[in-house]
Amino acid sequence: MKKLLSITALAVLLFFAIGCDKIDNPHKPFIPVSGNKTVLIKDFTGVRCNNCPAAAETVHELQHQLGEDCVFIMSVHAGALATPTGKFPDFTTEEGTIWYNNNSSNPLFSVDHVNLTDGNAFYVGQVDAPLNNALAEPQLFSIDIENTYDEATRRVNVENTFSAVGDCDGKYYATVCLLEDSIVGRQAVQGIGIDTAYVFRNVFRGTFNGADGELVSDGPVFYDDNFVTTSTMVLDSTFNADQCYILTYIYDYQNGKILQTEMKKIK
Amino acid sequence: MRRVLLPLLIFVLSGVQILHAQSFLENAQINGSFQTDAQYYRLDEGIDITDLYGKKLGINGFGKVNYSYGNFSAGMRFEAFLPELNGFRQELNGVGLANFFATYDNGFIGVTVGDVYDQFGSGLVFRSYEEWSLGMDNALRGVRTIIRPTQGVTLKGVYGRQRFFWAPYNERDFAADDYRGIVRGVDGEWDLNQSITSMNDSEFRVSLGASFVSKKQYDQSLFYYIPENVGAAAGRINLGYGRFAFSTEYAYKINDPSAINNFIYKNGQALLSSLSYSQKGLGIVLQVKRTDNMSFKSMYTATQNDLDINFIPPINYTHTHSLPSMYTYSTQPNGEMAGQFQINYTIPKGTALGGKYGTKLALNMSQVNDIVRDSVMDNGHLVLNKKGTLGYSSNFFAVSDHRFFRDINFEIDKKINKDWHVTAQYINLFYDIATIEGHAGAPDVKANIGFLDVTYKIDKRQSIRFELQGLWENEVHKGYEVNEDEKKDFQKRGDWAAALVEYTITPHWSFSIGDKWNYGNPVPEFRDHYFTGTVSYLHDATRIMLSGGRQSEGVVCVGGVCRTVPASSGVSLTISTSF
Repeated sequence: MKKLLSITALAVLLFFAIGCDKIDNPHKPFIPVSGNKTVLIKDFTGVRCNNCPAAAETVHELQHQLGEDCVFIMSVHAGALATPTGKFPDFTTEEGTIWYNNNSSNPLFSVDHVNLTDGNAFYVGQVDAPLNNALAEPQLFSIDIENTYDEATRRVNVENTFSAVGDCDGKYYATVCLLEDSIVGRQAVQGIGIDTAYVFRNVFRGTFNGADGELVSDGPVFYDDNFVTTSTMVLDSTFNADQCYILTYIYDYQNGKILQTEMKKIK
Repeated sequence: MRRVLLPLLIFVLSGVQILHAQSFLENAQINGSFQTDAQYYRLDEGIDITDLYGKKLGINGFGKVNYSYGNFSAGMRFEAFLPELNGFRQELNGVGLANFFATYDNGFIGVTVGDVYDQFGSGLVFRSYEEWSLGMDNALRGVRTIIRPTQGVTLKGVYGRQRFFWAPYNERDFAADDYRGIVRGVDGEWDLNQSITSMNDSEFRVSLGASFVSKKQYDQSLFYYIPENVGAAAGRINLGYGRFAFSTEYAYKINDPSAINNFIYKNGQALLSSLSYSQKGLGIVLQVKRTDNMSFKSMYTATQNDLDINFIPPINYTHTHSLPSMYTYSTQPNGEMAGQFQINYTIPKGTALGGKYGTKLALNMSQVNDIVRDSVMDNGHLVLNKKGTLGYSSNFFAVSDHRFFRDINFEIDKKINKDWHVTAQYINLFYDIATIEGHAGAPDVKANIGFLDVTYKIDKRQSIRFELQGLWENEVHKGYEVNEDEKKDFQKRGDWAAALVEYTITPHWSFSIGDKWNYGNPVPEFRDHYFTGTVSYLHDATRIMLSGGRQSEGVVCVGGVCRTVPASSGVSLTISTSF
């Protein structure tokens, strides 16, 4: 019996020793990303979602660490908590609701649309791994955005050039989005209640060519092939043109996966 | 010779096997239960149900069978959600064998393989359980060993992976949505009154316990070192002397950054204490609780009511009538300071107030506030709850001004004579609906609630029961100004009245009709009636219940764990039986 108790006590002590990892410095060393592949994170958020600001801060921190030229974040207001009440601003859009389809809470994230078509967007704590995977993938296209903006008519004309940087075969679509940055308004915040002067980052305002975008190429694509699309939009009078951006992404129509993203300020 | 002996041997051995098999069946005990909850949904524009989203029928069902023979027992539970009822997690959709186990226990050692349900102490560091009404099951699939080396001493060990709806248990892809870590734990309990002969009959009762639980998870983060082994330890003591009883448990958890706590590296702790006194006709209970960063899940990315390794017990009164239970408290895992006081007194029989049968009185008061959080230094800057830092510091005894919940209620339960029985209760309620239910910006619920429950026994077989209930909010009622776009947050707000009549013919039949009316909702189109009619039939252990009507939006909570129930309209059927 004594032997049994001694063995049990030893096993428990060993278990205590291996059962805890104390972390003194939580920050991993920064590893710069090599290559030119860019990634788009869609942040499905809502003005009445208490937990959304902290989650947004987390992904912006990721973007800051990885580089703002390789990770783009678009705040898409969609879902029940994005529906405004009272003095909350309305950032919902028809396209955002389509992208959000089959999901049921906020905040949620898609990384290059991985999993999004199954209605299984990621929670904030799950973004790291798919982001890592997406950045490690080879680049297939580069995107060049050119635009004009007429102050008088508030018309924006966009010309996107998609250049193949490798050989591939498929049906490729591109969506051209309008973003407005640094909008100040009311947002629910966990632990605070309502922040009346919350700064909304990169808010998705709509598309130039629909939620699914338009066809870029259908069939084999070879290195150095170029494809050009053009689109136009008149800015809503409430949008601040000085803070507006064009964000274009090209994706594989078969699985919805985004292959490359680029962003450019309108003015 | 060999030709004769071999068939003979086979025949004899077969006979022994058959005898064994017969014994295994005839001397065994088998019990089980079955239940099916089905609901047919219909459109009802009166309560704003204008789309069923393709779901006209929801069915939740289970069947479980347990077998025991001597020191051996085994069981299984089969579940079907085809599809799940509204308000249950969509991940439940499916059918299959959800649980199974086999146990051998000879008193000295007990071993269970399969799905394990168990709890260490009050559950602050480990509890695996199943709650059908919540659609929740965090059973640990693995092994449990119990050793009782001497009288009064119990040592326990568990090892396994938690159930996550229908996700496979052998998930090896760390990046998969349904990946979760391994849970392992040990617990020891020593009952001194059983162990020490001189204390066997002592009026002073003592038992001590300690637990250690650790999870093994995978670090998926690119930027932070996530601890792959997170341990939590707890110690407890139960004391009793005569009519007094005192129990307390303290738990401590090392750094466990998670999606729930915004990835902070602060240690967690919890304290739960209870002091009680009881004698015939009088019971007094005082409970206090403090939790700080004690969410403990088997995967750090989980954010909902799943994969919980521990359980934080609520210390609030559990209401059963429909209006008092409309605003039920849901445990806040990131921090709570809570207290509860309850006194039950029975006015003795034969006194002026007690009458022939005595009168039961009960007073309960409970309140839950947030903990106080102070900023901490990080790289020379003061930060509060910032990811990748220690998050905050918190004075153990400080109570935040932010009140989550308060319930003060008083109940009288009186059997007037052999025919009449009356129960009445008054409740004063405070409920932070913005924090608890996520209605950001919505005003707190401050309400007075009362009900009267009267039963009249017509004769030996027949009885009739009446319920009258009212809920009156102090601030939000008719006339409270609600902007057009704020309406969604006021779906069930304002004043309510409810009435129910139930006619019972024992032992089989029961019929009831009832209505809940949100007559004082500040939004005129929400001033709806929720009529229900129910017929139930009971035959031995079989119950069949058919009901129809409307169900208002609300929450169902069991043990502080809640799920949202959307408003619905239709017909529901429940069939349950056990053997």
